[in-house]
Amino acid sequence: MNDPIQDHLRLLNRRSFLSTAGLGVGGVALAGLLSREAKAANTVHKPLAGYPHFAPKAKRIIYLHMNGAPSQLDLWDHKPQLQAHYDKDLPESIRNGQRITTMTSGQARFPIAPSLFKFAQHGKSGRWISELLPHTSKVVDLLAVMKSVSTTAINHDPACTFAMTGNEIPGKPSIGSWISYGLGSESDDLPSFVVLTPKSVGGQALFTRMWSSGFLPTRHTGVALRSGGDPVLFVQNPPGVQPADRRVTLDALSQLNAAGHREFGDPETLTRTTQYEMAFRMQASVPDLTDLSKETAATLDLYGPEVKESGTFAHSALLARRMVERGVRVVQILHRGWDQHGNLPKDIARQCQQTDQACAGLLLDLQSRGMLEDTLVVWGGEFGRTVYSQGTLTKENYGRDHHPRCFTMWMAGAGVKPGISYGETDDFSYNVVKDPVHLSELNATILHLMGVDHHRLTYKFQGLDQRLTGVEERRVIKEILV
Amino acid sequence: MRPASFSLLLVATGLMAADAKLDFNRDVRPILSDNCFACHGFDAKKRKGKLRLDTAEGAIALKDGIQAVKPGDPEASELIKRILSKDPEEVMPPPESHKKITPAQVDILRRWIAQGATYRKHWSFEVPVRPPVPTATKDLTPIDAFLSTEMTAQGLSPGAEADPERLIRRVTLDLTGLPPTPAEIDSFLKDTAPGAYGRVVDRLLGSSRYGEHMARGWLDAARYADTHGLHLDNERSMWPYRDWVVKAFNDNLPFDVFTTWQLAGDLQPNATREQRIASGFNRCNVTTSEGGSINDELLFRYAVDRTDTTMGVWMGLTAGCAVCHDHKFDPVTTKEFYSLYSFFYSAADPAMDGNILLTPPVLQLTTPEQEKSLKDFDAKIAGHLKAVRDAIASLKYVDPASLTPTPPVRTGETVWFEDAFPEKAKVEHSGNPTTFVEAGQGPVHSGKRALKRTAKGVAQDYFTKGAAFVIPPNGVISVWTYLDPENLPKSIMLQFHVGGWNHRAFWGEEGAIPFGKVRTPERVNMGKLPEAGKWTQLKVDIAKLGLKPGMKVDGFAFTQFDGTVFWDRLAISHRIDEAKDIQWSFKLWSEKKQGSRVAELPGDLQNLVRGKKAAEWSAAERKRLLDWWLENEFQGGREQLDGLRAAKLAEESRKKALNDMIPATLIMAELPQPRQAKVMIRGQYDKPGEAVSRGVPAAFHPLPKKETYDRRDLAAWLLSPANPLTARVTVNRYWQQFFGYGLVKTSGDFGSQGDSPSHPELLDWLAVEFRENGWDVKRLVRLLVSSAAYRRSAAASPELLTKDPENRLLARGPRHRLDAEVIRDQALFVSGLLSPRMGGKGVRPYQPDGVWEPVGFTGSNTARYTRDTGEALYRRSLYTFWKRTAPPPSMIAFDAPAREASCVRRELSNTPLQALALLNDVQHVEAARAFAQRILKEGGATDDTKATFAWLTAVGRRPAASESQVTLDALRAHRARYAAQPADATKLITFGESKPDASLPAPEVAAWTLTASLLLNLDETLNR
Repeated sequence: MNDPIQDHLRLLNRRSFLSTAGLGVGGVALAGLLSREAKAANTVHKPLAGYPHFAPKAKRIIYLHMNGAPSQLDLWDHKPQLQAHYDKDLPESIRNGQRITTMTSGQARFPIAPSLFKFAQHGKSGRWISELLPHTSKVVDLLAVMKSVSTTAINHDPACTFAMTGNEIPGKPSIGSWISYGLGSESDDLPSFVVLTPKSVGGQALFTRMWSSGFLPTRHTGVALRSGGDPVLFVQNPPGVQPADRRVTLDALSQLNAAGHREFGDPETLTRTTQYEMAFRMQASVPDLTDLSKETAATLDLYGPEVKESGTFAHSALLARRMVERGVRVVQILHRGWDQHGNLPKDIARQCQQTDQACAGLLLDLQSRGMLEDTLVVWGGEFGRTVYSQGTLTKENYGRDHHPRCFTMWMAGAGVKPGISYGETDDFSYNVVKDPVHLSELNATILHLMGVDHHRLTYKFQGLDQRLTGVEERRVIKEILV
Repeated sequence: MRPASFSLLLVATGLMAADAKLDFNRDVRPILSDNCFACHGFDAKKRKGKLRLDTAEGAIALKDGIQAVKPGDPEASELIKRILSKDPEEVMPPPESHKKITPAQVDILRRWIAQGATYRKHWSFEVPVRPPVPTATKDLTPIDAFLSTEMTAQGLSPGAEADPERLIRRVTLDLTGLPPTPAEIDSFLKDTAPGAYGRVVDRLLGSSRYGEHMARGWLDAARYADTHGLHLDNERSMWPYRDWVVKAFNDNLPFDVFTTWQLAGDLQPNATREQRIASGFNRCNVTTSEGGSINDELLFRYAVDRTDTTMGVWMGLTAGCAVCHDHKFDPVTTKEFYSLYSFFYSAADPAMDGNILLTPPVLQLTTPEQEKSLKDFDAKIAGHLKAVRDAIASLKYVDPASLTPTPPVRTGETVWFEDAFPEKAKVEHSGNPTTFVEAGQGPVHSGKRALKRTAKGVAQDYFTKGAAFVIPPNGVISVWTYLDPENLPKSIMLQFHVGGWNHRAFWGEEGAIPFGKVRTPERVNMGKLPEAGKWTQLKVDIAKLGLKPGMKVDGFAFTQFDGTVFWDRLAISHRIDEAKDIQWSFKLWSEKKQGSRVAELPGDLQNLVRGKKAAEWSAAERKRLLDWWLENEFQGGREQLDGLRAAKLAEESRKKALNDMIPATLIMAELPQPRQAKVMIRGQYDKPGEAVSRGVPAAFHPLPKKETYDRRDLAAWLLSPANPLTARVTVNRYWQQFFGYGLVKTSGDFGSQGDSPSHPELLDWLAVEFRENGWDVKRLVRLLVSSAAYRRSAAASPELLTKDPENRLLARGPRHRLDAEVIRDQALFVSGLLSPRMGGKGVRPYQPDGVWEPVGFTGSNTARYTRDTGEALYRRSLYTFWKRTAPPPSMIAFDAPAREASCVRRELSNTPLQALALLNDVQHVEAARAFAQRILKEGGATDDTKATFAWLTAVGRRPAASESQVTLDALRAHRARYAAQPADATKLITFGESKPDASLPAPEVAAWTLTASLLLNLDETLNR
């Protein structure tokens, strides 16, 4: 059967080669057209000159952001001795006058709430993990677990803005935009930076600024792939319009624009025609991306029972793999609902149930395809949670307030030492006592793995060489790298 | 300032003569600023080796026999030696700075030292002086005379004037944001008398569309939006400010007045309504009410934002750099930053915006009659309050918890609905008539019968007249419901009427029944729907609904969205155990509420209860709280109090109903007692340092000597003839608007890290001209668009593109993509759909589903997008409701800023997502279809005449024969296809809310719709 889209794609490749060569813009070798890189270089944005700065370990990144701040005490940071402190006050020597949010600052006391969940050792590394993460437990030897991550902000809005853009004040580019800006795109029919926002039970707000390009050119803004309606905004033709109709319009458009270009000589005119063609290709590639019919049952099983349901975390995780496979540089999944001020035991169990299997499945899936070697996976929230209970503490129930002074994140894949744990907190998981990791250092490390020196990835704005990692000196956490 | 010519081309092409005299600001300062000032500049704390290179004194100072710069002798200058050093310990800039000085730059430094190493103040900090207009060429406007000098120097010659069609399209889009109509184009073509162009400009400047268009740029700078911006991102009422900006441009309010009102309108003697609305400029910043936030931090942030925005917008200074440390490049110390900040630090708005529409201070835009009614209400309420207080005073309160034995427990129940609505109630309904079923006909829970309703969408049974029930203390309302499992509702709701419908409880889907404000007693979320197929009793605590004991409920409603619902036995019960009840025992109330936020309390008492333990309250504080509690919470002594309280509550309810109707806007005001501003060490809100008073940076002209200063003084200082920046920055922004780039490309940074002006003398001439002619904006705009440079053809030869790719020399006319709003407005205008209505609350046009919902905070009142219908879909984009955390996608795709921070220059990107939006977004498809209908009706008899009409309307000119041919080829292809598949034609032309014209054949409309879409997507249409 004739597929008009495929026909036109074939035609288009030939044509864009001819017209490009004719205009002397790119002079691409015909053979090169067959490779993704060459096509990409011809149609989408290239890396900045001199990028990557050195050979990257990671060609792409999947960032799993657990929005709302998962409790490190109930998942990763095992503190068995806390059982003996049940309902006792947090020692003043530990709190040490540190600020706390106004949600608990009026509390008469700060009773310690040991985790209700059982921890056990897993993997060759013997890592302690909570029973809430049975699937992640099985892949723990792939992870570098960092228990000593910290941030400055104490509330969600500024903390998320910081985690995603390196600054608490809105308006800075997100990490994905920085990477897209520096390293360019590898795909000629999908955006370089895609964001997924799976459904959740309530939860804190997300903000488009978390994937915005800030002061960088807007083409580096993350494209939010949606779970309802068109996966990419406006990717679907209007009712009653077929790809062949669109082709007629685009052919006429390209001729008329070419005439306009002859008259005005504005290079943007040719770019516009190219972007319309890219849009046309996206109209074919996006449905292909979201069509899971060719995934094997074994693969689907890795992600768990909800994988086929659009808008679940599992479905998003599988799409993430499919995207990085197709050359998307940065995928972010922002999963909401981790803000457990009260009813923590019940609610965090639900959150883990929604995400645990798919996180592990994603790693195994990437590994089985040989992609974990050059794909970086990052997991974590915007801060941690307090050891003391917010609200009433009982044997069965407690809540935890925001805690920026320490929390746990993990990384896996490209260039990351597998099966290690880095950093330590005190007996109350309140302060970092060894090997601190500031969020900006984590970002510096991510850039490093992608072959980018974070000092040099700058953009001049308001008179400053702005960078993701801010003005303070930040180091790459070399200890967790291979 | 000394003439400094535009040297980019010369430097780039290496044509600069080796002995040409260097200009410090143009040639040398950028190198030093970029590479040296961070450690050897203005910031004393970060200065290394006590060496300062930003002043002549510092650079030539002799230290231990070493001189960084020895004027006239580059080889003896340590600066050069260190830059050229190969020793990693010695070389400058140091390797860890990742900075590198190129050999060409070293050469410049060398020659500058050889020429005597003269320093000059940064160009933009010297007051502009009107330079003489070059007179070499006659018949040029002053603007063109300046441009011509530079063009000649660079060996370029100016291009010809644009075709009249393109000229009128350019100027019409630039002045009104809308394209010219075919009639306007033809009348311009026919007007051969001198001054035809000037007449067009005058007409456009007189159009009210001018103000709408000009306001947009200012609203970007002012970070205007319709939500608070952080966390819940709830709606805020700011649109009267937006409308004021439009009016100010249309009235041609002089820029100095425009400035003064926005920065200090509230402080003017007998401030007018307009002046106070204008002061909303500084209420446009993002605010939060996120639980757990720390007040000091927020107050600090808001003042920083206002300082930074004001200094950026008026003076082009990046003052925000000095929040944490002395500015590294420009003369603003941290202390000076906080002196400026001090002007804003005493603003009266609270740290927490309360997630409310109208965070105080606000201005109600009342009519005189409304004002009188409000005053009457206040007087009555005050009278009732006094009566309540007097009654309380006579009560002699004793805490029941302190009595032995404690008072006995009392209980009771009143049935409001069983088998029927109350006798005499006037029952009404929406949807089908009110129906009851008896046992046998359907489920009945108690009594003889139950209320039954089947609905599609929202429907209800209710009454508001004829019966009334008094709310008892501790009341719990209960009702029995049965949901049909075969036909489930989306949501069910109980509503109670007390003067107005202000008390609602719902179960099921949030927002399905759209009444009431989210998260207020007007719309209380009670959780999931009850299990279907069985009778369930639903209970609601009166406190949750804001129903106070003593209130009279004079109506209730059973409401549902979809489904079949049975209702039975609505009743209210109560149980009172005075000694254990916080409405009888103040002691218990204090214990229970301490540490939590009691929203009903006045601000300071709220903080007291929340932040301080009960044992720490002073006697006076306790007394105030007790009085408040007795007036508002205490339920004893009802015989004496009930009637009085009910009268007061009723009056308050009426006042609220009136208030809700009156538009209002956020304005600025000063606290009665100013807050003491302090330097925040390293920009940390919890590290206050030295106290500072209001003042301005020492590098600039001083404030007049006075005891105290306020924002009026700051405004006057910005507008003073001694201010080197305000006029320059402002004319530059307008230049940018019309020419694509500012004369200073970095229009937001005039400091030493910003770009040098391409035409410094022209910039100064315009600045002085603008200021000395009464800051007349329309005059300035007319000056710009009347220049030959503006009127030139945009055609660029390959040579010109190589020599001047950004068109900074303006040998050709400016050409750039239209802004997001203009692209949408143009499509609506061309199609005839655009509504001419001006002003008012933000509207919600087409937006794809799932833009707000996936990001919105569940409890936010902007979590769900409910699009408007009818005319509101076709208003100018300026009036689109702007939610900051999820702005309209069709605007963002075309580089509109999110409005979270001030923005003075938009990007002009070119992306595939733009193509998808313009081809597929329903609003563009619908506009193309409406345009197609116009073409068919107004375009004459033949395809040729129709194509010509379409081009003239959309592109602003008649097509060349080849263009017409391509257009008609496409039309014929579409026509054949839709003639063969008319069902597809119908699908296409019914996309969107407006109905297609039934008198036109569907395939023909469809074919022309895609042809119209083609023209609306042309690069030429999207540019001007």
